[in-house]
Amino acid sequence: MTTIKLWKFFAREDLYECYQCARCTGSCPAMEVAPAFGPRETILKCLNVGHEKVVQDERIWLCCTCNVCEDRCPQKIPISDLLVALRNSAARRGNIPGRLVMAIELLAKTGRSMIVHQLDEMRAHHGLAPLPPAPVEEIRAILEKTGLREVVEF
Amino acid sequence: MKYALFLGCAIPIKYPGFEAATRLVCQRLGIELVDLPFSCCPPPTSMKLVHYDSWLALAARNLCLAEEAGLDVMTLCSGCVNTLKEANRTLKQSESKKRRVNKILEEHNHRFKGTIDVTHILDVLYQDTIVERLIKETVRDLPMRIGCHYGCHYFRPPGIMYPGELSDAESYVPVQMDHLLSIIGMEPMEYSRKFLCCGSPLGANADQDAGYAITQTKLQYMRDRDIEALSVICPSCFEQFDMGQIVLGRKTKEKYKIPTFFLTQLLGLAMGLSAKEVGVDVHRIKARKLLDGIGIG
Amino acid sequence: MKEKAEIREQLQAPDSRDLRIGVYVCHCGKNIGGTVDCVKVAEHARDLPGVVLAKDSLYTCSEPGQEQIKADIKEQKLNRVVVASCTPRLHEPTFRAACEAAGLNPYLLEMANIREHCSWVHLHDKEAATEKAKDLVSMAVSRAARLAPQVELTVPVTRKAMVIGGGVAGIQAALDMADAGYHVYLVERSGSIGGRMAQLDKTFPTMDCSICILAPKMSEVGRHPNIELLTLSEVKSVSGYIGNFNVEVLKKARYVSKECTSCGDCIQVCPQLAPDEFNAGLSIRHAIYIPFAQAVPSTFLIDMGQCLNNQGIVACDRCFQACSHKCIDFSQRDQIIEIEVGTIVVATGVDVYDPTALTELGYGKFPNVITTLEFERLINAGGPSSGELIRPSDRRRPSKVAFLQCIGSRSKRSNPYCSNVCCMNTIKDALLIREHWPETEIYVFYIDIRAFGKGFEDLFRRARREGVIFIRGIPGEIIEDINTGDVTLLGENTLLGEQYRYSMDMVILSVGIKPRRDSEDIQRLLNLSTDTDGFYMEAHPKLRPVDTTTGGVFLAGAAEGPKDIKDSVTQASAAASRANILMSRGEVRVPALTSRIDPDKCTACGLCARVCPYHAIQGSKEQGYYRVIEAACQGCGACVPECRFEAIDQTHFTEAQIVSQIDSVLANDPHEKIVAFACNWCSYAGADFAGVSRLQYPHNVRIIRTMCSARVSPAWIERALLKGVGAVLVSGCHPADCHYNNANQNTARRVERFWKRMERIGINKDRLRLAWVSAAEGAQFARVIEEMEAGLQKLSPRQISQDAEKLRKSLVKKSETT
Repeated sequence: MTTIKLWKFFAREDLYECYQCARCTGSCPAMEVAPAFGPRETILKCLNVGHEKVVQDERIWLCCTCNVCEDRCPQKIPISDLLVALRNSAARRGNIPGRLVMAIELLAKTGRSMIVHQLDEMRAHHGLAPLPPAPVEEIRAILEKTGLREVVEF
Repeated sequence: MKYALFLGCAIPIKYPGFEAATRLVCQRLGIELVDLPFSCCPPPTSMKLVHYDSWLALAARNLCLAEEAGLDVMTLCSGCVNTLKEANRTLKQSESKKRRVNKILEEHNHRFKGTIDVTHILDVLYQDTIVERLIKETVRDLPMRIGCHYGCHYFRPPGIMYPGELSDAESYVPVQMDHLLSIIGMEPMEYSRKFLCCGSPLGANADQDAGYAITQTKLQYMRDRDIEALSVICPSCFEQFDMGQIVLGRKTKEKYKIPTFFLTQLLGLAMGLSAKEVGVDVHRIKARKLLDGIGIG
Repeated sequence: MKEKAEIREQLQAPDSRDLRIGVYVCHCGKNIGGTVDCVKVAEHARDLPGVVLAKDSLYTCSEPGQEQIKADIKEQKLNRVVVASCTPRLHEPTFRAACEAAGLNPYLLEMANIREHCSWVHLHDKEAATEKAKDLVSMAVSRAARLAPQVELTVPVTRKAMVIGGGVAGIQAALDMADAGYHVYLVERSGSIGGRMAQLDKTFPTMDCSICILAPKMSEVGRHPNIELLTLSEVKSVSGYIGNFNVEVLKKARYVSKECTSCGDCIQVCPQLAPDEFNAGLSIRHAIYIPFAQAVPSTFLIDMGQCLNNQGIVACDRCFQACSHKCIDFSQRDQIIEIEVGTIVVATGVDVYDPTALTELGYGKFPNVITTLEFERLINAGGPSSGELIRPSDRRRPSKVAFLQCIGSRSKRSNPYCSNVCCMNTIKDALLIREHWPETEIYVFYIDIRAFGKGFEDLFRRARREGVIFIRGIPGEIIEDINTGDVTLLGENTLLGEQYRYSMDMVILSVGIKPRRDSEDIQRLLNLSTDTDGFYMEAHPKLRPVDTTTGGVFLAGAAEGPKDIKDSVTQASAAASRANILMSRGEVRVPALTSRIDPDKCTACGLCARVCPYHAIQGSKEQGYYRVIEAACQGCGACVPECRFEAIDQTHFTEAQIVSQIDSVLANDPHEKIVAFACNWCSYAGADFAGVSRLQYPHNVRIIRTMCSARVSPAWIERALLKGVGAVLVSGCHPADCHYNNANQNTARRVERFWKRMERIGINKDRLRLAWVSAAEGAQFARVIEEMEAGLQKLSPRQISQDAEKLRKSLVKKSETT
C-alpha cells in the first residue's frame, strides 16, 4: 500500500496559522449531530500528535464537505484542501467507510454514480429519450491509469 | 446562448422530471443545450475524498469533451459544478497537474487546454438578458412563501466558486435564486441557517441518521417562518429534503409536509407548463394541495 | 548669484596631496584577533598610499585606545583616521567624538567592519578572514583618502507646535507643550475635542468614569492661553521641513458664534433630525446641536448637510429666531488658515471595526447584536437610554448577555493584528453590568484573554470571581428568534471539546480598532510611512518610538498602533517632550549627508526632484537649475543616480568615494568576489546581525554601505562588471519598510532596468541580485550570499571576462550612436 505525500496537497505552514478560535467547529453541521471532531481538532492533532494518528481515526469521515469551516476561518486556512488530503491518505490505509467503497465501485464499473433501473420507462413518462450508455471502457481505462486500484478494487 | 448540458447522474436517472423541466424552460428562454457523452462528474463528496487523482482525471475528461465541442458547460447540480469548476481552475493554474492528466487522457484522444468555463444553471438564468426574457415568458404568478436552499457546493469555497468577487472580509451570500423566484411572484423567505448543509453527504458517506438530523434542523427553521415550499438547485439536496421528510416522519412522527421543487420546475410552472410536464407529480411530498391553492391544477 | 558661489564652494574637492592617514586595527579581545591576524592586517595597511601609521590594539574603543588616536592626530598630524573594528553602527559616534576632541573634523573618520562582517562570519577560515580584513581596510583607506570635512547645517526651529487630532493623546500633547511655554495649534476635525475616550463610560482597570477624568483636561485646553483650538478643521497641506513647517488648515463654518451659552433653546425649534454620531447612531440629534454635554468648545454648531438652509438660501430661521443671544450666523463661510509651526504631533486616533461583513454574526440584521462602542453609549448615563441597560429590539433589560471577543481582530478576513484593548474593555463592561444589574448572566466567548498590563490580571480575576462565565471558543453562527428577538449562539467549547448552544438576550461584539479611514491623507501630507496594518510607523520600534522618519513630526496615541488610554497619554507626553526638546533648543543640526547640485552642470531637467521622497529639491527651468533644500533633505541619495549630467552628488557618500571602494575591492581576483551594496538601516544591519548570530557564509563578499539602497547607481554595477566582478548584490529594506519613504522603489526600478540591459547584451542576469533584507534577517543575508556563491561557482573566469567584453562593446556602440 503506497502512501501519499500529504503536504503536496496542503502547505504544512498553513497549519501554524491556526490559533484554535473554533469558529470552524462552531459552524460545523456534522459536529452538531455526530461524534465528529472537526477542523479545529484535526489541525491541533496534526500539529501535536502527527497526521498519522489523525488518518487512522474513523471519525475523520464524519463530514458534510460543506466547507463552511473554510468560509468562517479568520486565518483563511484552506481547510477543504487539508481534509481532502487527509481522507485520501486515510483511504490508502484502508480507513474508508463501506458505503463510500460501494459508491466508488459503482462509479468505476458503470461510469455513473447511480444504479440504472427501469430507466427508459421512467424517462419516457417525462417525455425524455433513453439515456445513452456511459463510456464505461474509457472511464475504466482512465481509472486504471490514475491508480484508483490502490484504494478500491473494481 | 449555447451550453453543453451537464446532467450528472442523479438527475437523468433519479429525477428525469428536472431534466424535462429544464429542457422546456431553456427552450423557452432561448438557451440552446447540447448533449455530450459525459460521464459522472465525479462528486466532490466521494471520489475526491478517496482518490484525488482519479477525481481530477475524470473531471478533466468531461471538460475536454466540452472543449472539443467549443462550448461552456452548464450543470444542474451543485456537486457537479463544484467538481468541474474546481478541476477546470486547478488544471488552468497548475502546469504539472495538467501535464499529468493529459498524459493519461492522450490515449483517448483528449487533451485539456483550458479554453472553456463552467457554470451552474442558476447563474445562467441570472443573467440580465435571460431575466428580461423570463419576465416576458411568465404567464402566472406563484404566490407562496418559498424558502431557497443553495447547496453548499454551489458557492463554497467562494475562493474557488466565485474567485475575485469578494473582498477578504466577506462571506459569499448567494441571492440569485431568491431574486429569480420573486420575479415569478413568489415570496422568498429568510429563515435561520439558510446556508446550512442539507445533510446529504454526511448521510451518504457515514451516518444516515445524522444526515437527516441536519435536514430536520433546516426543516424546523423553515416551519418557524411558515415556509410553504422549498426550492433547490441540486438533486442531492432535493432527495435529502423530499425523501428526508418521509424518513423523518416515520422516525420522529414529525410531519413537515414542505413540498420541494427544483428551480426550473417552478419557473416552468410560472411559464404555464403543467405540473406533469415539469414532473412534480412524482415527488414524495406532494405539492397538489399547494398548487391547487394557487390555481395550478 | 551669491547662492551659486556658495554652493560651488561647498563642492570643492578636498586637497588630497598631503594625506596623512592613521590606521587602527582592533583585536576586540579574541572577537577579531581570534580569527583575523591583526598584526598582518596592520602591516598590510602600512603600505597603502597615504598611510603614515598603522597600529593594532587590543580594544581601540577603550579609553587608552581613544587617547592613542587623539595623541597621534596631534603628534603625527594625522588628517584622516581609519579604524578597523566593529560595525560603524556601534562605535562610529565614539571615534568621531575622539577625532573631534583632537581637532579633526569628525567626517574624516572611516571605519572598516572586520568583526560583524568578517571575523564572526568566517570563524573557521583564519587565512581567508585575514585576507578579507586586508581588503576591507584597503577599501576604507581609499575611501578615507577622498573624505572631506563637513559642517553640519544648523536650522532654526519655530517655537510653535501643531497637534493634529483632539482625542486624549492630542489633548495631552497639546497641554504638555503649552505648559512648557510654546504656542500650540490643536486641530480637530469634529465639533468638539474629546475623541474616543469621551464616548466611553468607564476606563479599565481602575473603573474611573471616563468623561469625568477627561472633561477637566478638555476645559483646560479650552482656556489655556497657549492653545489655539481649531475645531471643525482639517489639515489640507503641509510644506517645509523640520523646524519650519507651513500648514494650511481648512476651518469649516460653525454657523454659531462663540457667544453661544449652550442654552439649547435652538434645539427645541429645529425641525431637522439626524443620527447622533456621538451615541454611535443609537439616538437622534437635530441639525443644530452640540456633540455632547461636556463638549469643548461648548458652542453649538449647525450640520449644514442636514440643515434646510444648505442651498445657501435661508429657508428656515427658527433657530435664529429662538436664540436670545443672536449667536446664529448663516453667513459664516469655510476658511483656509495658514499657520507656521516648528513641530507637529500626529494624534489622529482610530476607527472602530464595522462587523457587518461577518454575515454569520448578524450584525446590522439582528437588532440585539451590537458593538462594544454602542454598548458604551447604552450604559452611559449621558447616553440614549440614560444609562439603563436595555436591548434595542424591545427596550427590555436583558438577563443573559454575551460578549464575543476578537471580532475584526487577529484575522486575515479583517485586521490581522491584536487590537490590544478589547479583552480588558470587555472585562470592564462585564463588571459594570455585574455592578448595576447583578442578576444578569454574563458570558464571554474568547480565544485568548490578554491581560498584560498593570492591574489587568486583577480585574480579570475579579470578573471570574463575580461569576462572569468565560468560554473558550468563538461562536460560528448566531441565530435570531424572530418572535422574541433572542439570539442563539452556536459553537464549540474547545476546553470541554463540546458543542454549545446558548440562547442570549443580547450579544455584544467586542470589535477591534483600525487606522482612520483617511489616515492616508495625513500620511501623504507629512511623508510618513505606515506598517503593513496601516498604522503610522515610528522611526525605530524600540529606541525612537514616537519619532517619525520625517524630522520634527512625532506620533501620539492609537494612530501609531492600537493602545489604551494610559499608553496613549504616555506616548503623547513623550511626543510632546521630543517636540519640546527641538523647540527649547531653538535650532537643529542635520547630519551632513545631504545631496548637493552643481548649478553649472544642472540642466534643470527636474528628474532628481521627481524621485525625491521629501520634496527637498526645488527649482525650475526658468531658474536654470535645481537646488537641494538641505534642511529638508534626509540624505537617502536616491536623486544622485537619477542625474544624467553628473550634476548631483551626496555629501559623505560621494561617487568618488564609493567608486574608489569598488576599485579597491576589484584590484585583485575580481572574478572571485561579490560586491554587495547594503543600505545602512536594514541590509547592512542585517549583515551585522548575521555576524552577531555567528552565521557562517562565504568569505568572498565585500559589503559597501550606502544610506539607502536607492543611492546605488547603475553606473557602479556597470563599473564592477567591467572590472570583472563575480557578482553584484544590491540589498535594501523590504519595500514597505524603507527608512526614506519608499525611496527603495527606485532601487527596484533601476535594478530591473539593468537586468533588461544585461539580457539584451547577453550577460547572465543571475550575476546581479536584488534582495530585501531587514535588520532582523541575518539568516536571509547569509542565505543570499550562499546562493550567489553557488551561482558564481558555475561561472568560469573566461565567461566573466567575456561578459565584461560584451558590456564594453555595448558601451562603445552606445557612445557611437549618440
